[in-house]
Formats: sequence, structure tokens, C-alpha cells
Amino acid sequence: MKKTLVGLSVMLAMAGSAYAGSETVTIPAADYKAIMERLDALQNRVETLEAKPQAAAPAVADAKYDKVSKDIDTIYDSIDALETKSIKNKINFGAELRVRYDGYTAKDFNTVNMAAFQQNMMNGMMPNQAMGMAMSHHDKVNDDNNWTNRFRINMEAQITDSLQFHGRLAMYKNWGDSDDATSSDMLNDFNRSHRPGTSSLWVDRAYVDWVPQGSPIPIALTVGRHPSTEGPPFELRENRMRQSTYPALLFDGENDGVVVTFGLDRYTGLKDAGWRFAYGKAYHSDDDNNTGHPFPFFDDGEAGDATMAATFFETQIPGLNNSLAVLSYARVWDLPFYFTGPKLYETGMPNTDLGDLDIWGVHLQANDIASTGLDFFFSYGGNRSKANGNAPLGLFGLLSSDGQSNHSGYSFYTGLRYTLPVTPLNMPKVGFEYNKGSEYWFSMTMATPDLFNKLATRGNVYDVYYIQPVNKHLFFRAGYLHVDYDYTGSGQHMGAPMPSDATLDNYYFLMDVRF
Amino acid sequence: MNKKVLSIAGALCLAFTCSTLAAASNLDAFLDKCGACHKSGAEAAPVNPADKAGVVWVKYFKRGRHPGDLNATINADEMANIVEFLKNHAADSDHPVAAVIPK
Repeated sequence: MKKTLVGLSVMLAMAGSAYAGSETVTIPAADYKAIMERLDALQNRVETLEAKPQAAAPAVADAKYDKVSKDIDTIYDSIDALETKSIKNKINFGAELRVRYDGYTAKDFNTVNMAAFQQNMMNGMMPNQAMGMAMSHHDKVNDDNNWTNRFRINMEAQITDSLQFHGRLAMYKNWGDSDDATSSDMLNDFNRSHRPGTSSLWVDRAYVDWVPQGSPIPIALTVGRHPSTEGPPFELRENRMRQSTYPALLFDGENDGVVVTFGLDRYTGLKDAGWRFAYGKAYHSDDDNNTGHPFPFFDDGEAGDATMAATFFETQIPGLNNSLAVLSYARVWDLPFYFTGPKLYETGMPNTDLGDLDIWGVHLQANDIASTGLDFFFSYGGNRSKANGNAPLGLFGLLSSDGQSNHSGYSFYTGLRYTLPVTPLNMPKVGFEYNKGSEYWFSMTMATPDLFNKLATRGNVYDVYYIQPVNKHLFFRAGYLHVDYDYTGSGQHMGAPMPSDATLDNYYFLMDVRF
Repeated sequence: MNKKVLSIAGALCLAFTCSTLAAASNLDAFLDKCGACHKSGAEAAPVNPADKAGVVWVKYFKRGRHPGDLNATINADEMANIVEFLKNHAADSDHPVAAVIPK
């Protein structure tokens, strides 16, 4: 603007004094003077305006801009720190704590004093006679003050888009339990975490799911110590979501192995459909207790490995949301006499393998049927033994005394749970379950949540419970189970089942916290 | 006595019906309202409730972070049902555990 005015004044001055271009303009001196004064006034005004701190208004805006800019930088710094921390925090942790009270009443059952049995054998008795002499009958035994703590640390990590890790560390103990082999005057349950002990850390689960990208067919590899405990439908009474790949009636154990899963949704139109192939081991004993072996990590050559291979097909039942159908088949080769190592603890009897076992089953489950709050399941399992002729002491063949005969068994397991529509009580749940196993029923279910293996029962089991949620992290459960045994040896694969009139009643109350 | 039993039964039936409808309406609201735009090939990408923690979903809508005006298509009750559904299936909710099935 200043330049414009200066230019204009020059032009006017030129015009006033002599000419403009080729034409001469003459104006009165008074007018010329007035114009010049006017120009001077404008010039002064411009200079005054320019001299004023015109940046005052922009200065405020700049300050605000600077502050916002600094704030954004601060936020970016914070986000950088959080992102870095997030990336370094490779594992997300969760935890579970359960405190449970149990009371038991057992009737009409026998116990065997294994030390007396061994002594009887050393005294030259025949095995049957030695066993009979070491056996005691009990009409009724109460044990009504049992408390346990179970603590779990759950872990998961999304390593990459196609790789996930899951893990669980666990502690599960009786209150004050000090009678295991590691206890001593210096080390017992009262000071176990405050004295040097062992480097043991129980790992319940540690596995990765790998879904290779770009595969022409959907395939996943799950390797490690698997999610193979407390499977469907146990999540109903556990008041949580599904916890295992395998139906609880057939397989409930901590298992190391490999599972290959093919996704079938796109081929079958079924939802959550998959076909799995599993390989794992149920038993292995190396030779680390043999100080004379140069390679003590080799198999001890006694019972050998018990190897498992299985296949499963599962899908959501068509037309039924929140449902599950699983067809299963598994074979276990070379089941050992016992799962506790090369020598039976009480007797020192060497281990050996007894034969093979086939297990199959079907599991059907529908949760929250038609949004009614009703859950229902039915599970069937069958088994067939293939004894190899081994029968330690002539008593403990595979599902037989002599190890010469093969046997088939079955079990079915059904039940329902209903979510009571009582909002003030946080929607409590009631459930009833029933299972029945035949004389030769046996499956791989050694890690059930109850201290006794109800799904291995050769007889009838009635289970009723009530779940009282407090919030999403805390619930209580009270329940009663009645077990009516028809045959002995429930949950054991060695020896011949014998008729039994034994019963077991269990009433319990537990508090469960998960976060 | 019979009246009392009938009253209790009636109340239970009513509560049962209400809770059933509530559970269904959360899913329905999510599928109908969110699913209208958030699906493969539509104007918005499919939304996975497990992308955020439950409390983050609540804040997300409270702060009006969803692009576009949702008030025109979703009323307050429907929004409450949607948020409830998202919370129940959020990243920090209980989820099933089994060997993965690839899609």
C-alpha cells in the first residue's frame, strides 16, 4: 500500500508540475497542495498502522497454534511410549483363583494296602490271594472338611496376524497339603514359597496356533501343550466359554502334541467347521533315573511310549446358533501298566505296556437355545481294548485280568443348564447332568475339574448345581453329586472290573474369581 | 395358594420373556443397525467387537467418534443394545479356547 501511495504521489506531482505523458495538466496550486497534504496524511496513517504491533491479533493465534502443536507433540510422545510399551508387552496376562470346599461320603467300597500286598507276594501267596488278603472293606467313610485352592495365570499373545500363543501356569492344592514326596522338615506347605525347593513350575498349557497365510486351503497348525482339558460341555458348569478342543467325555488331560486343522466353512457351507488330525503322547519315561546310562534321555525301554493319534470333525449344527457337534475317533497305542514311571511306587513292580485302545464318540451341544437361556448337551462315547497279552501279576491286563481278552465299553453323558431370568440376582444358573458308563468303559479323562473322575464312572452319576454370579469376574457355585458305582476300577485301564455296590456323595461350595 | 403359585409362575414367565427378548435384541440391534453398513463389500468394513475393550467401546460412542450422524438411524434404546452387545463380545470378554479353525 505504501508503494502504491508513493507511486500515486509521484504521478500527481508530475501531473501538477508539468505533464502527463505527452499531455500537460495544469491544476491550481491550492488543489495541488490539498492533494499533497491528503497524500501526506495517508502516508502518515499507513506508517502509523504499520508501526503499530499489527501482529497482536495474529500473535494470539500463533500462541494458540504453538500450544496445540506442543500438545500434539506431547500426545505423539505419549503414544510413542505407549506403543513401544505395548509392543514390548508381548503377553497379555489374566488370572483365575478358585477356593472350593468339599464334603464326601463313600459307602461299601474296598481299599488295598499295597505294602501288605507286596509283603503277601513276597511270602509266596498267589496274586489273587495276596490281593484279597490286603483288601479292606469299608461300610461308610465321611470326609467332610476338604478345602482346595486353585490358581491359574493365563497368557495369550498375538505374535503376528497368523501366529498366536496361549499359555497357562497353574497351582492346585489342598489347604496345608504337605504329604507329597518333596516335603521335609525344612520344606512343607507352610513355607514352600519361602524356602529353597525345586525349580518346578507347572505348565498346564503352552501352545501356538499358526495359520499359514496364502495357503490354497485353510489350514492351521496347533503345537505344544494343548488346550485339552475341561472341554465341552464342562464350560456350562464352569460358567465360562469353551475351554478345550476335545469333548470332555473322551479326552480330558494335559496333552503335548500336534494338531492339524483344516477349515471347511468355504467348502461345506457349515459354520465353524473343521477337520482335525491330532498326534500326541500319553506316556513317556526316559532313563534319567539310571546313573549308568550314557544317554539317560533315551526311553527306558520298559513300557515304551503311549502314543495317540486322533481325528475330529466339528461344526456348528446347521440352523442352531451357539451350537456344537463333534465326531471323534482316537487310538492310543501301548498303554502302560501305570502312568507313574518305571517302578510302581509302593511295590517296585516294573512297568510294561498292556495294549492299545480305540475311543470314539459324538458330542452335540446347543447353548441358549432360541435365546431362551436353556443349554442342552448329549455326549456318547465308546471304547474297545486290544490287549497284548501282558498282565502283571496275572491280574492287571488291559481291561482284563489275563491280558488275553478284548472288551468294549460305552458311556453317555447328558444334561442341561438354565439361566434363571432374575436380573436382581444377576441371572443365576441351575444345571443338572447325568452320565452312565458300562462295565468296560474307559477313556482318557484324568484331568477333570472334580477330584474324582465322574465321567470315567462305571455306573451312574447325578450332578446338580447352582451358579450365583456376582459380576463378570466373580461367581459362586454350590452343587451335589451322587455316584453309584456298578463296577470297580472306574478310570483305570488295568485289571478286570468287578461288580460293586459302592457309592460316593459329594457336596461342595466354591468361589471363583477370573480377571 | 393357587393364586400365589400362579402369580409367581406368571412373574417368572414375564421375566423369562423379558430377558429372552433383551438378549435377542442386543444381537438383533447389532446385526440390523451396524450390519447394514459394516459388511463385506458395503460402505464400511465389517466390525469386530473384539477390536476394542468393553470400556473403550463405551467411550467410543460417548465421545461421538463414529463417523457420520448415527442419531438419524439408531435411537437411544437401540444404541444401548448395540453397546451392550459390543461389551459382551469385546476384547476383554471371556472367549472360547480351542485349537483354531482356519477360515
